[in-house]
Amino acid sequence: MNQRSAVSAFKRDPALLSALAAIWLSLAVFVLYPVVRLFLVTFVVEGRLSFDNIGALLGNWYDRQAFFNSLGLAAAVSVSGTALGYMYAFAVTRLPVPSWLKWFLGAVTTLPLISPPFTSSIALTLSLGPKGILLRLFGVQSFNFYGFWGTWMSETLTYFPVSFMTLAAVLAAVDPNLEDAGLSLGASPGRVFRTVTFPLSIPGIANSLLLLFAASLADFATPLVLAGHSFPVLPTQAYLLITGLYDLRGGASLSFLLLLPALAVYILQRAWIGKKSYVTVSGKAGGRSQFKSKGRLAEGAILGGCLALTLFILYLYSIILWGAMVKVWGVDNTLTSENFRYVFTHGRNAIADTLYIAAVVTPIGGLLAVLIGYIAQRRRFFGNRVMEFLSLLNYALPGTVVGIAYIIAFNEKPLLLTGTMTILVAAYMFRYNAAGIRAVIASLHQIDSSIEEASASLGASAGRTFFRVTTPLVIPAVIMGMRYLFIHCMTAISATIFLVSVRWNLLTTRILECMTELQFAQACAFSVVLIMIVFGATALMAGLTRLAARRISGEGGRG
Amino acid sequence: MSKLRVLAASLLLVACMSAGAWASGELNAYSIMPEKYASQVFEAFTAETGIKVNFMRFSSGEALARVIAEKNNPQVDVILGGPADTYEAGIEEDVFEPYRPAGADAIPAKFRSKDDYWTGIGIIPLVFLTNADFLKEKGLEPPTSWNDLLDPAYKDGLQMADTRTSGTATERIYSLVKIMGEDEAFEYQKKLHQNIQMYTKSGAGGAMPIATGQCASGIFYIVDALDIQQQGYPVVLSYPVEGVSYGIEGSGILKGAKNMENARKYMDWVSSKSFAQFIVDRKINYIPTRDDVEVTNPALDLSKVKLIEVDVAWKGEKRKEYVDRWINEVIK
Repeated sequence: MNQRSAVSAFKRDPALLSALAAIWLSLAVFVLYPVVRLFLVTFVVEGRLSFDNIGALLGNWYDRQAFFNSLGLAAAVSVSGTALGYMYAFAVTRLPVPSWLKWFLGAVTTLPLISPPFTSSIALTLSLGPKGILLRLFGVQSFNFYGFWGTWMSETLTYFPVSFMTLAAVLAAVDPNLEDAGLSLGASPGRVFRTVTFPLSIPGIANSLLLLFAASLADFATPLVLAGHSFPVLPTQAYLLITGLYDLRGGASLSFLLLLPALAVYILQRAWIGKKSYVTVSGKAGGRSQFKSKGRLAEGAILGGCLALTLFILYLYSIILWGAMVKVWGVDNTLTSENFRYVFTHGRNAIADTLYIAAVVTPIGGLLAVLIGYIAQRRRFFGNRVMEFLSLLNYALPGTVVGIAYIIAFNEKPLLLTGTMTILVAAYMFRYNAAGIRAVIASLHQIDSSIEEASASLGASAGRTFFRVTTPLVIPAVIMGMRYLFIHCMTAISATIFLVSVRWNLLTTRILECMTELQFAQACAFSVVLIMIVFGATALMAGLTRLAARRISGEGGRG
Repeated sequence: MSKLRVLAASLLLVACMSAGAWASGELNAYSIMPEKYASQVFEAFTAETGIKVNFMRFSSGEALARVIAEKNNPQVDVILGGPADTYEAGIEEDVFEPYRPAGADAIPAKFRSKDDYWTGIGIIPLVFLTNADFLKEKGLEPPTSWNDLLDPAYKDGLQMADTRTSGTATERIYSLVKIMGEDEAFEYQKKLHQNIQMYTKSGAGGAMPIATGQCASGIFYIVDALDIQQQGYPVVLSYPVEGVSYGIEGSGILKGAKNMENARKYMDWVSSKSFAQFIVDRKINYIPTRDDVEVTNPALDLSKVKLIEVDVAWKGEKRKEYVDRWINEVIK
């Protein structure tokens, strides 16, 4: 759609204009404005523009090392996480596994995602750290866990479920008829995978690589616990500068260095998947067929890999559960309910606040993701690229920086928001909606716009087409995004540690407090309660996704 | 169409929600003192005065970063606990309101800000914390000298705090500089670095790994070391013969506090004898700054410990220089 027809679309649909205005306004206030304010604090020295702060960093060997470590770590995590995520997604969507096993695999993989990263870090340290349980079991003498290896393992475990969720949605939408066609033309299962399934999942893979790279780049909690002094990374360095040396400028400058690689990856991803056609839901296909066998050996290897990793995750979380139920971990193994009593008395307010905020953020975030994704992918308005970039910007920035930027930006009139719930809601919505927006864009890539054009040519307004045609088709992606958003509302810490107030406290902050205060048992109990809550809520949303996906393949396929 | 309008309206609504009015008869606080102690302290304060307290716990660096960022619209009225040099750094940023509490005269001047920006409520010396099983296994005595920690038996066995985040860590440097002199202190730390397994971000972070045997020993404030011992872990506390410096836990009022009257009542209370008696009775492991209260816990009896006096202003002055030097010489 070109510029002129966009104008006529506005005339026909004033609703589109108001939606566009609302999105731009909220992006301007909650993304652009704080970053600009932070930029001014960083680069304006005594009323003049100055790059002294950045120059000082580049001359410092430790900060330079942190820059390259961050890139290396993010690359390693995005590749390993995407590989594991693809393996799981393939097993769940393409292999003839019983549905209870699918449920089990899906349920267990959400564990790392729905617990704050530092919780699993503790279980990993106890297993693989100095004198760890697993090291002693296998008689390994020297293994340097602190530094790259520990951080990489923990981040891969934490983030591969993001990749799994993204890729499962994409693979589920790839019509197996295409694979059947390849097989019946005599290609081997391996060749069909290489030439049909894999190329069709490239938008999802690119998406997953981008999300994981950005997530690892911005993660500060895991390196804070595991990286140690020998493996500095930028977000941790920024956090240490801000909280340790009270150097807001230095910390902000470091995080601006982070923006460069984030931007580079984003542009790369656009160039990679932007040019090809990946339409698989065209409204023209016939009914769906059964998935065919992919060869015993390959199936066995994939399932074996999934099961081994699943068991390892279960093992890590049983350590946390055990820690929540005993008096003093490793010393006094008497069972007690004392820790949970502590959580439900001292932690009651934090639980209620967290749930309330998550319940507000999730539905609004879902709607916002559809709107931004739809406008960015389907409508060619001026500034769409900028809108898409802005909607992902807060996600690429380290959370500590977003937190500090929010405090600077929203601490004076007319936008006096510090200490309120609004600032937390905004931080979550504009920071963690990235997965939802990317998922909507990726699934719109796969849906032929002729379906919507048919609706429009039959006289439906843009609003009607959007709600009756587009929205139902992207609902699995939206609910996926909402699940992710909800999970982050429950587990994120880096940005919000600066935004919680005496009136609005969060579960994750309480857990980190317990950890730094050596209340290990209480930290475990808090984590167990948090995981239960998130597990219940995400199971509900996963059920909705399946329901929606069934409706699309049922009606869309034959319709 | 109408759905889009509703959506646009609800987005704007969220964007426009703002702060409610603060109720009176309240006190809002950040605590740098651990939550389990702070909750007892504030409970007692409420019981005595009827003033309701909302509080949150942060590490000293986080709390200071927050109050600086919130300078134009302070979210809290007072800070409970945290090392005096954090308060000194805050004075530089103009975030504190001077107030001389009613009980100030009974607190020695060296435990108070000279311009009444903060008042010391407890002191905490550094102490060595060592895993008892480790000592038994290696046939070692608990370390009684800073040089004992250079023993190769401790290779990859020490965890202590990172100077960039932790007041405990900078306190360690202050002690060493006062004992050995500046250059020698950094030479010593380079040797000590050979035995380090990990520098932790928080002052107490290494205590749990020592308790569980993941590492052997480390240097902590007594409040964190005693706490882990009281939880029942097999650990030993010991002091070096060369001596240790100590931190002063402060408390102070923020400039522009919205409940100024209550904040002053609070400062009077934490400077009072009944407060000092309260922390002794509740086994909160700070040594009161007032000299008219008797400490009953033998672990807090410092008559046999060589305490090194370090001026708080000097600490604040030297902090950044020493941290930079630590990064560039010790961990490089």
